[in-house]
Amino acid sequence: MAGSLSRGRRYVLLLLVLCGFGVVLFRLVTLQVLQAAELSAQADRQHQKTVSLEGARGTIVDRHGKILAMNVEVQSVFGVPNTVDSPLKTARQLSPILHVRTDELERKLRQDRRFVWLARKLDPEQGRRLDRLSLDGIGVVMEGRRFYPKGPLLAHVLGFSGMDGEGLEGVEHRYEPYLHGEKRMMVLQRDALGHTVFPKGMMERSPTPGHNLTLTIDEVIQYIVERELEDAVGRARAKSGTMIVLDPKTGAVLAMAVSPRFDPNAVSALSSDRWRNRALTDAYEPGSTMKAMMAAAAIEERVVSPNTMVFGEHGRMMVANTVIHDHERLGWISFAQVIQKSSNIGAAKTGMALGEHRLYRYLQAFGFGQRTEIDLPGEGVGLVRDPKDWGRRSVASISIGQEIGVTPLQMVSAVAAIANNGMLMKPYVVSEIRDADNHILRQVPPQTKRRVISPETARSVTKILEGVVTDGTGTNAAIPGFRVAGKTGTAQKIDPRTGAYSASRFVASFAGYAPAGNPQLAMIVVIDEPLGDTQGGAVAAPVFSRVGEQVLSYLGVPSDAPITLAMASRQ
Amino acid sequence: MKTVTVFLGLCLVFVFVWERVDMVRIGYQIERLKRDKTVLERQRDELRVKFSTLSASDRIAKLATEKLGMSLPQQGQIIVVQSRPRPSGVQPSGIALVELKVARNDLPSGRF
Repeated sequence: MAGSLSRGRRYVLLLLVLCGFGVVLFRLVTLQVLQAAELSAQADRQHQKTVSLEGARGTIVDRHGKILAMNVEVQSVFGVPNTVDSPLKTARQLSPILHVRTDELERKLRQDRRFVWLARKLDPEQGRRLDRLSLDGIGVVMEGRRFYPKGPLLAHVLGFSGMDGEGLEGVEHRYEPYLHGEKRMMVLQRDALGHTVFPKGMMERSPTPGHNLTLTIDEVIQYIVERELEDAVGRARAKSGTMIVLDPKTGAVLAMAVSPRFDPNAVSALSSDRWRNRALTDAYEPGSTMKAMMAAAAIEERVVSPNTMVFGEHGRMMVANTVIHDHERLGWISFAQVIQKSSNIGAAKTGMALGEHRLYRYLQAFGFGQRTEIDLPGEGVGLVRDPKDWGRRSVASISIGQEIGVTPLQMVSAVAAIANNGMLMKPYVVSEIRDADNHILRQVPPQTKRRVISPETARSVTKILEGVVTDGTGTNAAIPGFRVAGKTGTAQKIDPRTGAYSASRFVASFAGYAPAGNPQLAMIVVIDEPLGDTQGGAVAAPVFSRVGEQVLSYLGVPSDAPITLAMASRQ
Repeated sequence: MKTVTVFLGLCLVFVFVWERVDMVRIGYQIERLKRDKTVLERQRDELRVKFSTLSASDRIAKLATEKLGMSLPQQGQIIVVQSRPRPSGVQPSGIALVELKVARNDLPSGRF
């Protein structure tokens, strides 16, 4: 047959075969050489899946390991609108589970998009209900959700994290680099049906979770403080309240509360004013609590001793063409009584004898006008003007706690310095950072900032401040069975309309420590704008007493004073 | 000789195929176990959060006061007593010093 083909036909046949091979060869070169990279990538996309994995955000616990903030993997729901058969029917089924209105879900499912979020970070119970449904075009991805199981407890210190898991306030924000988990991309192999076979590079480690934080805060003490503060603010119909409890020997913050509280599990509806940690951001004029520091400075500088006699000018004294009043007409009294009776005139005279430079030096030494460097964000510096900007009355005013702005944290740190034999400690809230395997990465030791006064002066001032509680303006701060040292403060607020001191708006406070002989707690209570009785001794001191008694009992601190029948009868 | 070579070749092919199939099977198994692990870890975390929520001090206090009729001790009702160390010769060995918490109302009347 072949032999019968003419020579010309054989060439045509050969040419056709060669052309066929040429086409195949051309296609082969195109696929294997020219488009190799692109096609290889396309094949990878079809049988490989890249997933983003993020290590869980670290847990925050109190000093006894009780969980205060923790991440849990929860479901987030998305829709693929062009694959949903009946958007209305699907929306009706999802609405009661996601707590989103049907019309809103339907609108999302009718959008001309390939992906749309329907609800993010569901509650675990919502997730379980969703699992029972099987809806076309509806998918689920797991995301970490932050839970604050104690609700509003410690909210102003903890802060909160945002929808994408980043810390926005408080400890969550300050320790973001430690808390957030590692992000890693992992490639998974898929079979023909799209099921995951096993990860490529299976031996790669999982993303590392964030580090865990141990706070100095004690959940029980925090609860006691918040309960008593809320109660006091409510009874006084005050605008707000703040309370801090420190260990004076270390500076560890045992509790820090602000009233009104907020729930960090639901912050979206609240304004930033609500979650601001006023204990360290807001400055106030401390009023008479400042006399404790002024007394320490005057005794340290040997300007006065507790027994130095001071004339009370019968309750009225002119300073720089202004009048300083006392609440009672005092004559000759000892310096100890000046503090115990909270005499403005006696304190102003002592301050003037101390002089502006020494007074300013001690204000700085006690930490006023500068940050305490606590490991929380947003700390304010308060307001201490340079002496060259002081007026003729400034020394007298500052001696009685006017013309100066302090934060509650600065004030309690200063009081704690007296309690700690004159050593100023740096306050702190995080005591340990541990990795996910519970290995300690960093332990925070107590840090001494400086010596402010001598131990002898501290003991003298303590004795004077004990007198404030036994015989002075702070009797309501007494704790049965314990020696208490402290100072009341009632400061007029500046009226923003007139720029002068308001006759009706006050800040009532009490700062002190107990047991006076071996202080375990330094505390401050600040009640902003109480109505009715506005005196620090009447509004803030009782909170100090109630919290002090419960906390000392909880800590198992033995009594250092006999319980008198008078005290027992107070119940 | 030729037969043996072909047989060995077939064995190698079989081992190779069997290994690949087994790898896929184990891969599926690993994925299933990982999913189980993830679910169990999630349940553990949910339970930890739930435990923490249920053991919150304010919830316990609320239950104690509202359901059990308990109340907070009043001022002066709690006294913490620390036992004093005895002289070393008198103290019985092996007995640790303890702090005692005594509610004042529980003490015999007339003691204070």
